Amino acid sequence: MSLLSPLFLFALLGIALPIWLHRLQTNATEREKFSSIMFMEQSQRRIHIQRKLKYLILMALRILFLVLLVLAFTKPVFFVAPEGAVTEDTTHHIIVIDTSFSMREGDSFDQAIRLAEGLADDLGADDIASLYTASGSVETIGTATADPALIRGGLRDLEADYGRLDIGAMVSALDSLITSSQANFIIHFISDFQQSGQAMRFADMIPDVINGRPVSLSIHPVKAEDVPNWSVASVEITTVDSVRVGIKNNSAADQSAEKTLSLSINDIEQQSLTETFAAPADGISYLTFENVLFEEGDNRLDVSASPSDGLLEDDTRHTVFDNSPPAPVILLSSDLESLAVTYITTALETAPRGYEVELQNINDFDPRILQRYPWIVVDDIGAINDSLASELQSYVEAGGAILAAVGERALGQANIPVGEQTIGGGLTFSRTTSYNIQRVNSAHPVLDGSVGWNNLAISRVLPIEVDNTNNVLINLNDNIPFLIERNIGLGRFLLLNTDLNNTWSDLPVKPVFVSFIAEAARHLSNEELLVKEQTINSFLQLGQSGGASGQVYDPSGDSLLSLADTTQAQSIQLSETGYYRIVTLGRDILVAVNPDPRESDLSIMDAQALQNWETMVAGSTGNMELVNGVAVNLAEEEPVAIEIWRVLLILLAVIVISESSLGNRYLRFNIGTT
Amino acid sequence: MRIGQTDNKNAPTRLLDPSVLSSLSNLELVAKAVVEGFVMGLHRSPKYGFSQEFVEYRAYTDGDDPRHIDWNVYSRTDKTFIKLFKGETNSHLMLLLDTSASMGFGATHTKLQYGKYLAASLAYLASRQHDAIGAMIFNDEIVQYRPPTSKSGTLHGVIHTLDSADAVEGTAMHKPFTRFREHVKKRGLVAVISDFYCDPEALMAYVRPLALHGQDVIMFHLLDPDELNPNIKESTLYEDMESGELIEVDPVFMKQDYPQRIKAHIAAIEKTAKGMNADHVMLNTNDPLDRALHSYLTFREKRA
Repeated sequence: MSLLSPLFLFALLGIALPIWLHRLQTNATEREKFSSIMFMEQSQRRIHIQRKLKYLILMALRILFLVLLVLAFTKPVFFVAPEGAVTEDTTHHIIVIDTSFSMREGDSFDQAIRLAEGLADDLGADDIASLYTASGSVETIGTATADPALIRGGLRDLEADYGRLDIGAMVSALDSLITSSQANFIIHFISDFQQSGQAMRFADMIPDVINGRPVSLSIHPVKAEDVPNWSVASVEITTVDSVRVGIKNNSAADQSAEKTLSLSINDIEQQSLTETFAAPADGISYLTFENVLFEEGDNRLDVSASPSDGLLEDDTRHTVFDNSPPAPVILLSSDLESLAVTYITTALETAPRGYEVELQNINDFDPRILQRYPWIVVDDIGAINDSLASELQSYVEAGGAILAAVGERALGQANIPVGEQTIGGGLTFSRTTSYNIQRVNSAHPVLDGSVGWNNLAISRVLPIEVDNTNNVLINLNDNIPFLIERNIGLGRFLLLNTDLNNTWSDLPVKPVFVSFIAEAARHLSNEELLVKEQTINSFLQLGQSGGASGQVYDPSGDSLLSLADTTQAQSIQLSETGYYRIVTLGRDILVAVNPDPRESDLSIMDAQALQNWETMVAGSTGNMELVNGVAVNLAEEEPVAIEIWRVLLILLAVIVISESSLGNRYLRFNIGTT
Repeated sequence: MRIGQTDNKNAPTRLLDPSVLSSLSNLELVAKAVVEGFVMGLHRSPKYGFSQEFVEYRAYTDGDDPRHIDWNVYSRTDKTFIKLFKGETNSHLMLLLDTSASMGFGATHTKLQYGKYLAASLAYLASRQHDAIGAMIFNDEIVQYRPPTSKSGTLHGVIHTLDSADAVEGTAMHKPFTRFREHVKKRGLVAVISDFYCDPEALMAYVRPLALHGQDVIMFHLLDPDELNPNIKESTLYEDMESGELIEVDPVFMKQDYPQRIKAHIAAIEKTAKGMNADHVMLNTNDPLDRALHSYLTFREKRA
């Protein structure tokens, strides 16, 4: 305890006052002499003793009152170490338990728990321990403690999940979770030590050292040898009615096994095939189911292999097959018989995804149906009037997307409708000089992998001027933009600076046009963001609803998004295996989630490698930068100052009340016996 | 006014007030003042032995003051005779003064002081009547003993003995009475001055043999006013002055029960005294001494 104003302690001399009043000024004698007490009788109540006691308590209360009052003025503060504080002599045991998917094999996880309990029981008198789990992420379980019972309590509810452990990532995570400390550290790592979990660089598995504090590693393997394991590695829909299944031998030796594969679609078993699979080490054997019938829309394909082996969950694989009809898309045109309409329709219908083009005349178009379509095409953006331009702008701002081209109707306008890019003066048109493609942003999804842009013959463009809100994806010479993307609100506006009638350029008749339209369709409809087969703990991008609000349900059927998140959340983590369901306006999408296939490989790290790892960490003691130094909750932090004057004031109030009550009783006694 | 009654308006009797006497440091002076004052207030009555009327001669015996021998008779008969006047009884007075610790109780003056005044006054009075005087100072032991004699200087010696007494130790009544019985064979007066904090029956057992041996016993029972009517306002822890024992008593008891108990004890002592033909004189230490002297003279006259 420290006093911020110790000079007030001189006021403690004031306690002389009650002592003087009580002990020196009092006339009350303690006892009175009498000639003989032979005729007296003992009082039934020991009033004198009680009274004397009250008198002394009264004096003590008054002295205490003065002492506390003075102490309150001296501003006493207690400096307490943060919870879990450690000393120089403390050894901090960091117990890390592998909870990755592979630990679900056999009794691996039970063995890990037993090892951890043993470590907790072996804690020394000055030791503390903190518990961590390592899988897809590293998490702290409780706070650092010296109590083995608390460690055991933390272990009680643990179970292996479906995540993947990367030891390098785990060490890195420990670096961030553990900060500096005065303690000596031992990292106890309890795991099956899968070979697939080993970091790419061995150095990534070596914890750093900070402040020269010793750090050592203690390895606790839960099994000593490889365990053979077969898993359903892949499910492919090769044709519209056949499914090819790959079954993998996840061991370091050639294996053969008789397995029965069952195919279920939408929870209805379709076929079962039994075959003896022979596969080399880490090899895959395939089997094909023929004459498979799919329902329209997303189909849930579950392929299971039996008999099961030690790791049950990778014997079944979940897959989604989209058997939807071609997606509808609106093509707005002022001339439904134009070449542009023909070129665009052909390109969309031949795209891999397949689109059903709905032609709409700009002059008769009812914009209220826009919300049904994630994106639309406009063959001549200059043909739309102000009213429709306003409607389209609202549509884009709400999350919709437009692929537009310029054309004859755009000539003479000052701005591009919807996109609002400025059109400079004059018409850039030359029959003798063609424009060349100068730069193509091939990193953009629309242009990813497409070739042939440089072969275009471009004879006429609009002198469009763009600001920094526009992203120019293709530039012509003289810095004239040819393909522009602009994000408006939640949506996108993609503009081609050429007509699609094969007049201004020959783009519509070039092969690159088809691939461009296909990629632009995927990009504008957000289909590129939706991968329908994911690995657990990956993130699902939620932009595919075209701006319409949607809800996501986990494999258990529970909704994951709050009402606000349905329009604001950009992504969610897929933390369970099975099928996630994304429901938006007019769409119902399934996403299959499977364990990481690397976790199915139960080959363990070489014993020599493990020993080297352990040795290297121990050998690094006092040399490297303190890493893993200290658990957050054990931080070597400044003591926390706690002011106690408020407590003193409360005590003062209690003492005043007590003194008043006792003093009153003391006086009442005197009066009553007069 | 009856003999022995105090009258505050009478200057001589004022000297009998113990609070006034306590201002005098010389005990002999106190005794003289008391007795002279007392005597001045008395009528010259021969029955109290203060007349000079010749009554008879008697043979001189050891212990008699030689100054009282009639030398004329001796010259005629060669025998020593002593002249007796009316009021003289040829007696002796033995003063037994209790100096136990309880006698030290008292506010303005202690019971022991009062007892000393009383004893000294009795001695002075007896001396005037030519009685032999002796004294025994006791508590739980015999502290001092002076056998009764009428020799010259006896009064001074007795008063000195009384003056040197202090209130200490406890009380053991049987010792003085046993010792007295062993040493004093001659019949006489025995004045016991004490607060008599003892068992009345035991007291009777000690005193009765004296009475049977012809001693005339008068018991001056001294008590302080606070012992008779204690007035406390709150519960009090009392310490026994003799045993040191502590006791806590409440004021209700001291106001209601204790006076009854002390009165019953006084009555028991008085009854005991009567039972062995002794006189019992209850004295409040605030009472003037003339009452005690008057009681003594009455008692002496009665037993003459």
